[in-house]
Amino acid sequence: MNYRYIWKEIRHHRHRTIVNVLGIAVGIALFVSINAVSAAYQRAISLPFKNIGADIVVQRAEKRSLDSGQPPASMRGIRLPFSNQILSAQDMEKLRTISGIDAMAASLLLWEFDQGGFKTIMGVDLTAPSLGPIKVKDWLAQGHFFSKAGEAVLEKHFAKFHQIKLGDTYRIGGHSFYVVGLLEIKEGSQVASANIYLPLADAQSLLAGSAGDINIAYLHMKNPAQIDEIKTQISKTLPGVTVTSSDSFLELMGGMSQISSQFSLVVSLVALAGAFFLIIKTMIGNLVERSREIGILKAIGWTSSDIQKQLLGEVVLQSVMGGIAGIAAGYLISYLLGYLSIPVSTPWELNLTPAFAKDAAAAVKTIRLPVSFSAGLTAAALALSVFAGGLASYFMGRRMSKMKPADILRRL
Amino acid sequence: MNNADILMGANLSKKYGSLEVVKDVSLTVKEGEFVSLVGKSGCGKTTLLSLLSGLERPTKGQVILNGKEITGASEEELALFRRNHVGFIFQSFNLIPTLSAWENVALPLFPMKMTHEQRQDRALELLNQMEMGHRTEHLPAALSGGEKQRVAIARALANHPKIVFADEPTGNLDSATGDAIMIILSELHKKQGMTMLMVTHEPELAKTANRVIRMQDGEVLA
Repeated sequence: MNYRYIWKEIRHHRHRTIVNVLGIAVGIALFVSINAVSAAYQRAISLPFKNIGADIVVQRAEKRSLDSGQPPASMRGIRLPFSNQILSAQDMEKLRTISGIDAMAASLLLWEFDQGGFKTIMGVDLTAPSLGPIKVKDWLAQGHFFSKAGEAVLEKHFAKFHQIKLGDTYRIGGHSFYVVGLLEIKEGSQVASANIYLPLADAQSLLAGSAGDINIAYLHMKNPAQIDEIKTQISKTLPGVTVTSSDSFLELMGGMSQISSQFSLVVSLVALAGAFFLIIKTMIGNLVERSREIGILKAIGWTSSDIQKQLLGEVVLQSVMGGIAGIAAGYLISYLLGYLSIPVSTPWELNLTPAFAKDAAAAVKTIRLPVSFSAGLTAAALALSVFAGGLASYFMGRRMSKMKPADILRRL
Repeated sequence: MNNADILMGANLSKKYGSLEVVKDVSLTVKEGEFVSLVGKSGCGKTTLLSLLSGLERPTKGQVILNGKEITGASEEELALFRRNHVGFIFQSFNLIPTLSAWENVALPLFPMKMTHEQRQDRALELLNQMEMGHRTEHLPAALSGGEKQRVAIARALANHPKIVFADEPTGNLDSATGDAIMIILSELHKKQGMTMLMVTHEPELAKTANRVIRMQDGEVLA
């Protein structure tokens, strides 16, 4: 293989090189963008769980309300959401016996209805600092997170709407709380998105009942690959509970998310097959155009294998150029698509606001596609572009070896 | 085959379908000889040259070149044989348009195990010999017909061939340039003892050689 000859051929035949490079680039760009967007969708739907550090959420819904979005006849004061009835100490003990669970945290979600409407109150367990709604601590916009009884942290927009400032006292269920912090809910964190955050014990004291009640359990797995297995085990151990994970969001999302998750590989392979066909067709077309040159090389003593190595060098260089251009274009397209916001519907049981509330639309949150660079995808795209070049070179070599120098030179 | 014979074709025939282009031709070329094969267009000269040089296989007959029977060799063996023993000069120069003059001369050396410097030195030496030392970096498109043919002659000599086959080397040149090329070929034969087999349709040019073989309708005339 003569690198000088390779480079001169590529440089001299600019038009031919550009067509070849573009053919490869288009196929690779499709492959990269489809896979990058698909991966971004997967990340988007995993965000609500990822943001609270949980793999599984366990709740117990009120039986009669499972299939109902209708409000009961009377709703006043503090009450448990329909989807979040009390998980007993026994329930929690049974959960702890299930193997594969790395960490557990609990919270108490309450609704308060008054003349001004409703508010969601989250009692936060401070003992598991990296799991559950305690993660909202990282999203403080002002003040500090509560550290003792009687303190509350409010969601920033809720506070603004109700004209509550840092340092104010705010009444919940007839008790006064000192507002020590305001926080801004992170995108895609609807699972932890309440109006008011209180210490768990304070929230428990608002609810008339036994102390120590909780109604949401957050579980972190030792091995996330075992989620389905553990979900089944929880359902068997605690009949009647609702067990949700990121997949619950996926089930609610139609369209692109399902297409990309189920068919992204097929779609990108079809795109690549099209690109392969284009590349091979273009390269073989080049071979016809270059038959004179091949005849000359053979006449002066180049063997078919010498010529094939030379062509391989040219094709692989063009493939690498096309691959790099395609990867760049693919990520550019993906990042541009990343500016789009996609709706992520929250499953009923994970929606912290009442289903009949005016802003029930909050159950559908929009998330910007979290497109990110993947070294694996980039390496795969580059390998595929080189493979496409190698394949084209193989077909060219087969065709070229059949060319007889005397036949070619006679036609000149 | 005599020891001094570098090329021998015995009872060579070539058919394309039912058309017999070369008919039972036998000839020998001795080492250091300059032989011209002359005849009208379409008489089978170029086909005979292709058979004798191993570019094409005969339908019948045998070719022995530099002591090796090449008729039964594979395409790859023939290519290697041409690389090591044969030089070609074509009517239409057949230079690679993307390569400079010296790179075209070095082209037969590209597949050989040599350093870049060795290839370049050999190419420059030959171009200087052809009085083309001032045009080494030029592309074929920037060269005149005569210059292109000088580059092509240099390329034919790059691999130190035992024999050079020239197919109408002046066919695409004006008469003055053609004469200059014939002088170069003649000097190669006389000064370096190069064995040459040249095909031409011009009897005057054929006289430059020290033996003339005439062809007509695919046959060698006695």
